[in-house]
Amino acid sequence: MRLSFILNGKRKVMETEPDRRLLDLLRKDLHMTGTKEGCAEGECGACTVIINGEAVHSCLVLACQLEGKEVLTIEGLEENGELSAIQRIFVEETAIQCGYCTTGMIMSAKALLMHNPNPTEKEIRNALSGNICRCSGYTQIIRAVKRTAAEGGC
Amino acid sequence: MRYVGKSYPIHDACQKASGRAVYAGDMELKGMLHAAVLFSSIPHGFVKKLDCSRALEYPGVVDVVHCFNTTEREYNRYQSQFNQALIYTERVFNSHVRFVGDRIGAVIAETEEAAREAVRLIQVEYEELPYSLDVFETLKGTIDNVHPSGAVFECTDMVTGTMPEEEDLVTVDTVTDLSRINHICMETHVCVADYDQYSGELTIYSPNQTVYGIRTLIGDIFQMDYSKVRVIKTTMGGSFGGKQEWVLEPVAAAAAIRVKRPVKLVYNRSESMISTYGRSPMHFQSSFTFGRDGSLKGVDCDLLLDAGAYLGNSINYARTVGHKLFRGYKYPYCHFHSRAVITNTIVSGAFRGWTSPEATIMFEHNMNMGARALNMDPVDIRLKNVMHPGDADPLGNIPIGNFRADEALRQGREHFFWDRRKEEIREFNKKNRRYKRGLGVALGAHVNGFYPSKTDYARVDMRLTETGSVQMNITLHDHGCGTVTAMQMIAAEALGIPMEQVSLGEGDTKYTPLDVGCFSSRTTYVQGQTVCLCAEKFKDRLKEDVSALSGLPVSELVVENNLVYGKYHPEVCYTWSRIADECQQKLKHEVFVSYEYVPDTNPGVAGAHFAMVEVDTFTGMTKILDYLAVHDIGQAINREMCVAQTQGAVIMGAGAALLEHVVTKVSGRPMGSLKDYHLINCFEAQDVRVELIEDGGTEGPYGAKSIGEVCHTPVTAAVVGAVNDALKSDMNQIPLTPDVICAYLDEQEKKEREKEA
Repeated sequence: MRLSFILNGKRKVMETEPDRRLLDLLRKDLHMTGTKEGCAEGECGACTVIINGEAVHSCLVLACQLEGKEVLTIEGLEENGELSAIQRIFVEETAIQCGYCTTGMIMSAKALLMHNPNPTEKEIRNALSGNICRCSGYTQIIRAVKRTAAEGGC
Repeated sequence: MRYVGKSYPIHDACQKASGRAVYAGDMELKGMLHAAVLFSSIPHGFVKKLDCSRALEYPGVVDVVHCFNTTEREYNRYQSQFNQALIYTERVFNSHVRFVGDRIGAVIAETEEAAREAVRLIQVEYEELPYSLDVFETLKGTIDNVHPSGAVFECTDMVTGTMPEEEDLVTVDTVTDLSRINHICMETHVCVADYDQYSGELTIYSPNQTVYGIRTLIGDIFQMDYSKVRVIKTTMGGSFGGKQEWVLEPVAAAAAIRVKRPVKLVYNRSESMISTYGRSPMHFQSSFTFGRDGSLKGVDCDLLLDAGAYLGNSINYARTVGHKLFRGYKYPYCHFHSRAVITNTIVSGAFRGWTSPEATIMFEHNMNMGARALNMDPVDIRLKNVMHPGDADPLGNIPIGNFRADEALRQGREHFFWDRRKEEIREFNKKNRRYKRGLGVALGAHVNGFYPSKTDYARVDMRLTETGSVQMNITLHDHGCGTVTAMQMIAAEALGIPMEQVSLGEGDTKYTPLDVGCFSSRTTYVQGQTVCLCAEKFKDRLKEDVSALSGLPVSELVVENNLVYGKYHPEVCYTWSRIADECQQKLKHEVFVSYEYVPDTNPGVAGAHFAMVEVDTFTGMTKILDYLAVHDIGQAINREMCVAQTQGAVIMGAGAALLEHVVTKVSGRPMGSLKDYHLINCFEAQDVRVELIEDGGTEGPYGAKSIGEVCHTPVTAAVVGAVNDALKSDMNQIPLTPDVICAYLDEQEKKEREKEA
């Protein structure tokens, strides 16, 4: 099928199969490997991207669902060649260890802050409950999201 | 100190935050192919026939490697040293399949999709054999023929000390059952191998804990000279012990050698859970004897360890449980007997703490039951028996060093409001029928390196660049917990230069020094100290060179702030850049130091953990209300990273206590999915308080000791202890899921009714 969608602000037109997972489309066809596969069943959140403002698992989205949609991946977050605020704050708050959950975690947090610029801790925990981090106890991640909100968003 | 004890992000944090970090699964090499493995669908039997014709015809398929066309040389996935004495039971591909998930072959294709599709087209004809899914079935003799070396392996029968002949002793007998758990590293298992037929060199890219270990095993399996096997450690998305035995590397290597092209092998989550390895199920029967004053007199413990289908580390693991019984408490007598038993299930292997958490779950439960029998406070009974500085581990008489278990317990008791909360909980439980609260404490202790049980040494090279920076060469394997940054901090501190002027990489057998691997909590303690000592030699070297250049005696030279100057002639002042330049041009050599350190200490390191839980007796659900971890770390190197690791360990260990469990169906098929394997997520995770006791006094860098494994050691025991306190129960069947708790409560209710009747 011919697929036309917006990827990180730019129109993308490509030939693909309707049942191609968005995750494979990104990682294998477009060589954008910032989005990770952790479970392929929507349980771990490592593959989270933002579609039309909502955080979704890219392992559960097929190409045929993407027509005309706006997809934002971790590769679209840098601003003027620098880390965006939320990325920089994740770095500064020691919210990154092995880093495999990080890109998905940042995308979930960004989607939350896009809807709710001043979330409570409970709202942050709820928004990130689909993203598993095996290294930390989530403390630094939550602190990074709170600080991003306090400093005016991502 | 300028750097040590402060907090810095992991060295590649920006790359990780931007999505630019490259993990093995993200790698693309020119001409790279992809492999997918054919796994056994039966728990035990022989592959009689394989028909690969349809798979080979599938578009994009290049070749199929399998049990009938690949080396039959046996090996042990745990091997990491040359000539290591181990029993070999496993092959790259097995025609005698021994569990659902055993490797039979692999399809190599242009894409991963094609390889996976083609795997489904291979026809396998099996001859099925009787199978055993638990140690008791195996002990009946059901699978005696599973390996030529047998199915049951005696590991150790060890008596230490003598049982005091006293009267009026109290004995508690308990049973502990640990279920199989998985590491669930967020990065699933991956390996890329490349073979150059003209140079005969095999290159392996893998996230792993010892590049030299893989080199050794691969060299042995494929009968290659070790100099022809190059292993490069890639960015690792977590290990927790899961990436220190070699599962994918032999398969990727076999595929690359066969097709003489780079091959990438990625296990998905299910394959990672089923076909790599997990923490072994263990069955302990133990008997602890106490004096009336709570002093521990004797321990008698029998362990049956479920090795799974192949002997990886299981014999060593079962033995090591015994060694871990002497790291925290001092008592006169211990008898420990262990056996490793083969079953037709997921292979068992290393897990964070390498038996310390498992031994602690058993030990601390007995301490709790002893306290209950003696009507003592659980903290008091521990204080009565802990080791103190000056004591020694009786196995090998190794001094325990500056071991602060006593202080950690006392500090935790105070800061957790233990005594006050005990009273509050008593009142709470009196008033509440549905919700019951409890407190748990556990002491966990661990090691700092291999000394003296296995060889241990480390080497660091430092060289000066012409711009005045220092390039360090060391065989590191960062698991994702910041060891590269920690070494950079230690080097910058010791050299007295900014951190950004120290660069270093990770393990690569072609260039970095021979090393025994980043395990056994040796990285900071042993390799970190090597960095410190190398830096001192490097500064001496700078003085010697400046002396040769300036004519001033070495004793009058000072190394400070990127300068070397004369104490009495400050006008004789060399920048490090100038030294590098003039050494090349005038003295005709590079400023280079290589230093090897052999540790001769292995102090104890302790964590006292405190948990408060609330159990819903209607649903069996347990909630952690508060948690405090106190550690005698000696000196934190990268402070926030130590805290973050400890908090992560608490969530991991609490998950093991309450939720985590790989279930195997009666058919032998394991459940390999995160839908069935529950982890504590962000919403349920309790904020964990971490306190560090830092009074140095060790042979580690700046007095540091280990943290990454010891912080996981007491967790499960503390949470289980709190549940048993809440319910006045004596369960030690891990995990204490709602089902287990409800079944226990039903049983208790039935017993009470019978009593009333």
